[in-house]
Amino acid sequence: MGKILCATRGGEASYRTQDAAIALAKGRDDELLFLFVVDTYFLNKTARAVRPDVVAEEMSHMGEFLLAMAQERAQKQGVAAEYVIRRGKLRDELKAAAREEGVVLVVLGQPAGTGGAFVPADLEAFAAEIEAETGVKARII
Amino acid sequence: MRRRVVSQSVKSHSLLFLLLLMFMVVVSRAGTLRPSPAHAAGPRALAGRVIDSQDEPVRGAEVAAYLNDVEEPTVVGESQPDGVFVLDLPDSPIDSLRVEIARPHFETMKWMAEDDDLDHLRQGNTLRLPDITLQRRLTLGFWIATLTFVGILVLIALEKLHSTMAALLGAAVVLGTSFVGGAIRHDLFIFDFERALEYVDFDVIFLVLGMMIVVGIIEETGIFQWLAYQAYRLSRGRAWLLVIILIILTSVTSALLDNVITMLLMAPITIEIALAVGINPLSLLMPEVLASNVGGISTLIGTPTNILIGSYADLSFSDFLVNLTPGVLLAQAALTVYVLIIYRKEYRLVDEGLPPALLERLRENARITKPDMLRKAGLIFIVMLVFFVGGEAIHLVPAVTALVGAVLMLVWVSPDIEEMLKVVDWTTLMFFIALFMVVGAIQEVGLISFIAAGIKAVVGENLSVAMLMVIWSGALMSGVVDNIPFTAAMLPVIGFLTRTLPGASNLTLFYSLAVGSAMGGNSTLIGSSPNLVTAGIAERAGYPITYREFLKIGFPAMIITVAIGTLWLFIRF
Repeated sequence: MGKILCATRGGEASYRTQDAAIALAKGRDDELLFLFVVDTYFLNKTARAVRPDVVAEEMSHMGEFLLAMAQERAQKQGVAAEYVIRRGKLRDELKAAAREEGVVLVVLGQPAGTGGAFVPADLEAFAAEIEAETGVKARII
Repeated sequence: MRRRVVSQSVKSHSLLFLLLLMFMVVVSRAGTLRPSPAHAAGPRALAGRVIDSQDEPVRGAEVAAYLNDVEEPTVVGESQPDGVFVLDLPDSPIDSLRVEIARPHFETMKWMAEDDDLDHLRQGNTLRLPDITLQRRLTLGFWIATLTFVGILVLIALEKLHSTMAALLGAAVVLGTSFVGGAIRHDLFIFDFERALEYVDFDVIFLVLGMMIVVGIIEETGIFQWLAYQAYRLSRGRAWLLVIILIILTSVTSALLDNVITMLLMAPITIEIALAVGINPLSLLMPEVLASNVGGISTLIGTPTNILIGSYADLSFSDFLVNLTPGVLLAQAALTVYVLIIYRKEYRLVDEGLPPALLERLRENARITKPDMLRKAGLIFIVMLVFFVGGEAIHLVPAVTALVGAVLMLVWVSPDIEEMLKVVDWTTLMFFIALFMVVGAIQEVGLISFIAAGIKAVVGENLSVAMLMVIWSGALMSGVVDNIPFTAAMLPVIGFLTRTLPGASNLTLFYSLAVGSAMGGNSTLIGSSPNLVTAGIAERAGYPITYREFLKIGFPAMIITVAIGTLWLFIRF
């Protein structure tokens, strides 16, 4: 029984990816590890005084809540799921999690509509980058 | 070890910054403490006043008197902030007198004394010259300063550079052009460093600094999240009630603290609450962010634009409460009705089917994390509010109240230098300092005068037309450019209109600018900082807010609230 890493933002736009990852884990009899990356770089867009540490803490709480919902969805399908929250840039943290969490597969969600974390052309290259840098297989779902 | 070195480095940088700040205050004040030649009149003097074509006094004009057709000036002086100059003439025979008045970005003026004037002087009297009007001149420096300011607006709007970097780049360009370019070609000179520092409004800097510390400490306590959760509990799953409470909550916290911080801390918990109730988080986030932009207008400290306006026009905390808060309440009521209609279908889709474990997590995320800190900080903040409102009676300026309150919080609540370094965002202070310099540059070269004259030509003597123009141009401009530099640039324009338009002395145009520039932020996604940070958090939670979606909801909201704001100002004034 291996572990599949699925990076998700948790919201409605991510449900399709979550469902596909849950179905894949169920088919392979694997566990799921959901990953939420807290990225506060958007704070650079404002010249107002903000505390990135406090904002990151709040976003971590939100991430935990969203991933707890994803975990609930997986468990309803009979798939064991855990989650992990990391802070930094999505690409770097995804690769770091793949290396550190002992996963056998990384799944990347196809962009659904606008505002996805990845653009289609970029996705395959990123999957290849993950495989090359971590030695963990990456699949687009 | 490394961490210690980094920490010491941060401390020394901060210390350097503080020293630089103090140096700049001293230098900028030094100019105002210098004895004024205008009061140094003695026997046989020459006095006068230099004004521009809008009858505004011109400071810093070099006034040179040439006695008896000599090549070198006999006496040289400088016009003061009120445009007045006085030159003491030597006690020697006078056959002729020529006066030349020169100032960068103006045409040089010459004045020749008539026989009667010379007789008057020969008798040992002071000769009072007629007002000397200098005509503006478009120099290369004018174009450099104008393009720099426009460039800053574009760079910030297109997110090509961080606002602080853009403003610093602008300050570097205008100062670099003045010193390096000015040495090569006189036309490129804009202003010297001392003059640039005189444009920095240290009341704004210290008020922003003080409030930054206060908000930085309060935000750590978890009060925002706790309040949002109480809204959820009170609403008992009724989304329409939840959104009404959240609008009130966001509006009040934005007015008393800061609308960006409010949204940064409210947005994550709001997303959780929306999911708990079973509705799309955007149907709560959008009303919140619209309300935060409107709510901030009601107090002096609610938005940076109000801080700028308050300091420039000498408006007190109470002035904003009396003249703007009722209008803001009316606008918020209309905004509430608007969002209830827009999201009516969403608010019907209430589903409280969240598992108990998730509800428990929500409750856990919304608890007060530092109750002792909240108690102390809350107490100091209440006292601060009392002094903000009542301090006027003892001539206590808001910047001092904010600074004293902030220091008390640091000493009593978290007396740790590391904490202080964490809560102070030096880049924001640098943004304001650099921005003031760039806006000073466009004032210096005459761009502001041209804009003021253009607006005056359009509105004539009609205050109502001027109010409409300021409110709606401010609202529309704030949707496409950063409203902080826009407001900073508009202040001298509004100042000119206030002095010259009949009936404008009640400062109504400054309130118009406050309403337009802040409410206008609701029109587009890039219209205000709360919009951008809310979109940032929503996107990371998987609920992206696109430019188009924001425009669809925000633009009509802007029209409604600005219309009500306009109506209120017409009723009030």
